[in-house]
Amino acid sequence: MSEKTIVITRFDPDRDEKPRKQEYTVPCEPNWKVLDAVNFIKDEIDATVSHRWSCRMAVCGSCGMMVNGQPKLTCKTSLDDYGDHIEIEPLANFPIVRDLVVDLDGFMDKFEAVKPWIIRAKEQAADVEDLNGKGTYSQTTEQLSAFKQFSMCINCMLCYSACPVVANEPEFLGPAAIALGHRYNMDSRDEGKEERNEIFRGEGTVFSCSYANECSEVCPKNVDPAAAVNQAKFEAVIDWAKGLVLPRGGA
Amino acid sequence: MAGPSHSESMAPPKPGRTRTAPPQMPSSWWGEKRIRTYLLFDATGILYFLIGFQAIRLTNALAAGPAAWKAAIESLSSPLYIAFHLLCLVSVVFVAVRFFRLFPKAQPPSIGPLKPPPRPVIHGMLYVVWIGITFGLGGILAGVFF
Repeated sequence: MSEKTIVITRFDPDRDEKPRKQEYTVPCEPNWKVLDAVNFIKDEIDATVSHRWSCRMAVCGSCGMMVNGQPKLTCKTSLDDYGDHIEIEPLANFPIVRDLVVDLDGFMDKFEAVKPWIIRAKEQAADVEDLNGKGTYSQTTEQLSAFKQFSMCINCMLCYSACPVVANEPEFLGPAAIALGHRYNMDSRDEGKEERNEIFRGEGTVFSCSYANECSEVCPKNVDPAAAVNQAKFEAVIDWAKGLVLPRGGA
Repeated sequence: MAGPSHSESMAPPKPGRTRTAPPQMPSSWWGEKRIRTYLLFDATGILYFLIGFQAIRLTNALAAGPAAWKAAIESLSSPLYIAFHLLCLVSVVFVAVRFFRLFPKAQPPSIGPLKPPPRPVIHGMLYVVWIGITFGLGGILAGVFF
């Protein structure tokens, strides 16, 4: 067991004008994750500390926080990787609701904006027949592998905290939302590419990205949103050019 | 072109909603580890801006006649210029390596039936082209070809 000083950002919307820091001394067990230390503070030292967490196995994406200035999934980040003084802050680039809890509303709006669902022009008779055979809209392994990487996102929002464009331009659609939209564009069952590419060509979307690649550096699930955003740029331009050159937009 | 698709995103909270603190950005944001490499990459633009002035100066010297040109070329051998050019060389290598690292994954997964080669192959091809062009230009400047 070793004692570590954990500095946590505190903010009570009813009392505090602005966020402040509070220091805690925590007796840390070997192999603890950062989340274990925050949970210890909540359970044993100060029950008023607020933070989000759930699964403790890097699946739910709830426990993203800034650890010594870096966006981290705290259930996956070992305390042993840090010294005796650790600063834990809410995710950067998000409004703070309370302590380490950030406001997700804007993020959710962005997700909705990219239409993250399978869009079909119309249900086809062949699809209904297929239901009795191989299942609706069957897909080959190769077709799945085209987008599978981008479907592994757990919405932890670390990429938004790392992105210098989001920091500078909060309206930017952002890495995770664009990666999700791109994931559906790449899906062989989807027919909504044109609709999404029109969104991607809009203000504050893919062309705002300056390819800093920080989103991919911090992604705990190796989704590589920077690749998705930059592939989406190419697709959006091709789609636009098709509309100029080919009759009926190349449809 | 479509308008902003997400006008409400991360907008200030509306009346009646829980008061939030705005996103925090430390005063030392420029030194933050998570964006340091990116800022360094962007800062290289300053060097290219300065080297643009140098190109204008040399062009003006060329227009002014052989004596002015010779003086301008001789001035480039000063330690200050050599240091500046070494800094530019380091920055070009940094930008190129970063670009080559990121370029392969930005490629579309396919263009019609055509699929791009594996990322290490694209990576290697970029270096081969870079080295080839460098030697080609070096050869031209050294008078090897002409």
